[in-house]
Amino acid sequence: MLELFSLKKTFGQTRAVDDVTLSIEAGQMVGIIGRSGAGKSTLLRLVNRLTDPTSGTIMFEGRDVTKLKARELRLWRASCAMVFQQFNLVERMDVLTNVLIGRIAHHGFLSSMARHFTDEEKAMAIRALERLDLVPQALQRAGTLSGGQQQRVAIAKALVQKPKIMLADEPIASLDPANATRVMDALRKINREDGITILVNLHTLDTARAYCERIIAMRDGQVRFDGTPHQLTPERIHEIYGTEGLDEDIDEAVTSTSFVSGRSANSRVYEAV
Amino acid sequence: MMDASPFADLRQRVPGAFSTPITTRLIRYAAFIAIIAPAVFGFYLFGFSPVRLAQGLTRLGTIVSFMFPPYVWTTWQEWKEILKALGETVAMSFLGTLLGAIVAFPLAFLGAKNIMPLGWLRLSARRGFDALRAIEQIVLALIFIRAFGLGPLPGVFAIAVSEIGTFAKLFAEAIENTSRKPVDGVLASGGSRTQTIRFAIMPQAMPVILSIMLYNFESNTRSGTILGIVGAGGIGFFLADRIAAYRWPEAWSIIFLIVFVVYCIDLSSAWLRGRIIGR
Ligand SMILES: Nc1ncnc2c1ncn2[C@@H]1O[C@H](COP(=O)(O)OP(=O)(O)O)[C@@H](O)[C@H]1O
Ligand SMILES: [Mg+2]
Repeated sequence: MLELFSLKKTFGQTRAVDDVTLSIEAGQMVGIIGRSGAGKSTLLRLVNRLTDPTSGTIMFEGRDVTKLKARELRLWRASCAMVFQQFNLVERMDVLTNVLIGRIAHHGFLSSMARHFTDEEKAMAIRALERLDLVPQALQRAGTLSGGQQQRVAIAKALVQKPKIMLADEPIASLDPANATRVMDALRKINREDGITILVNLHTLDTARAYCERIIAMRDGQVRFDGTPHQLTPERIHEIYGTEGLDEDIDEAVTSTSFVSGRSANSRVYEAV
Repeated sequence: MMDASPFADLRQRVPGAFSTPITTRLIRYAAFIAIIAPAVFGFYLFGFSPVRLAQGLTRLGTIVSFMFPPYVWTTWQEWKEILKALGETVAMSFLGTLLGAIVAFPLAFLGAKNIMPLGWLRLSARRGFDALRAIEQIVLALIFIRAFGLGPLPGVFAIAVSEIGTFAKLFAEAIENTSRKPVDGVLASGGSRTQTIRFAIMPQAMPVILSIMLYNFESNTRSGTILGIVGAGGIGFFLADRIAAYRWPEAWSIIFLIVFVVYCIDLSSAWLRGRIIGR
């Protein structure tokens, strides 16, 4: 179980994350929604400690994550894998090496300098690529792949970290609808088959409804809603975001996954809830 | 008076458009004089006269006429000497460039903003690079000849030391001009600072660094000729020797050979750089 206790992060005058208290059960798939600047990215970066909180605590399975340092901190980051909007791969290196970077926390100075990975690790990386249908591209340079393929490489890299939690920061915001659906389907599959807790930041409400059992809505760094998709009624949305609603500043057709599989997935979630 | 002119109203509204203020005009004259006067004085000081120019050009014509037909050495012994010296110049340039790059590489990290957060250390490193670059190769060669004796070794050191500053500066820029995103990607997987350098920064910077090295290898081959003239090994020594002995046809053939070699290196390094960067 992941627990956040009155977590705060300020950048100068900006309260990016403002007193967030949450607890997330193991194995949940949680969608975090909110407009640009709501603090979604900062929240995820706080969880894996890419950003240090101004105040507050993060506990994972009874352990205080906020106090971790050096090697312990690196192992924590490895155990909560992050997937970025812009994929953040090393474009000049091949796909396999990019995936193997997921093992980096377990390597010392010399093996990293030689960029040496064991055969077991390579096998692990290829199996991860297999799950994302990317084995044929394994030795291709990452930069030559399409955006959707690159994001799936990033997910394969996250998988070889053998994480307990996966943090995805708007993983589909740079993708076309078909690729967005593939990436979201992959995340859901990992959540269900491996039981990995997933926190995914999303711009669009319909994607969150389609894929997530729990939705957290943020505004101005604060959690304004935390519940199931069907509890998030149009009235609630209106209450939180005012008359403009949530999606006013984005092109829904580009980032939305709904047109391919959204409707069926949507109803499945509703049944489950 | 103003009213008489056809654009009186416009003149009044935008006076600057029709006449330049006297101060601006004075500054322009002063700037013109400041450039021309020293130039004229300089030519006077160095004894420039149309007569000398004419004489010089005539002699230059004679020298150039020795270009044709190109001189061809007839014995293998002579060829061997010349080719060995040419090879020595290329080798000096290669070793000097490599040595300079090896020393500059770790220094470059000190001067790169994304690696070295301490501003004062980074800036002093950068000033150090500039200071090294300020010393001309030939001056270094003369110093190293005193220390190590005549031959290619002082030439190699002169090239290496003069390249350290340039390389460190250019490498530091290559390191700085890398994207931050892959670094975040490696950190998020539990990577350490050194691992981000190895896995995220170096793959981006290395092609640029190699391309800089290739480029400077070519330019050092060119300037390496001069080092020979002062006695630091290579083809330059033979060139200076033939010129001193008024053996112009041979001197020209040596110059042609140098141009040919530099051209070949230029072509192949351009091709290699294209492959490294483009891939
Ligand atoms: N590194 C930073 N430095 C300064 N301000 C930041 C930084 N990161 C985020 N912010 C600010 O914090 C707020 C929340 O940003 P972010 O977490 O990126 O929101 P979201 O991901 O929901 O768009 C914004 O106002 C943003 O400008
Ligand atoms: Mg964001």
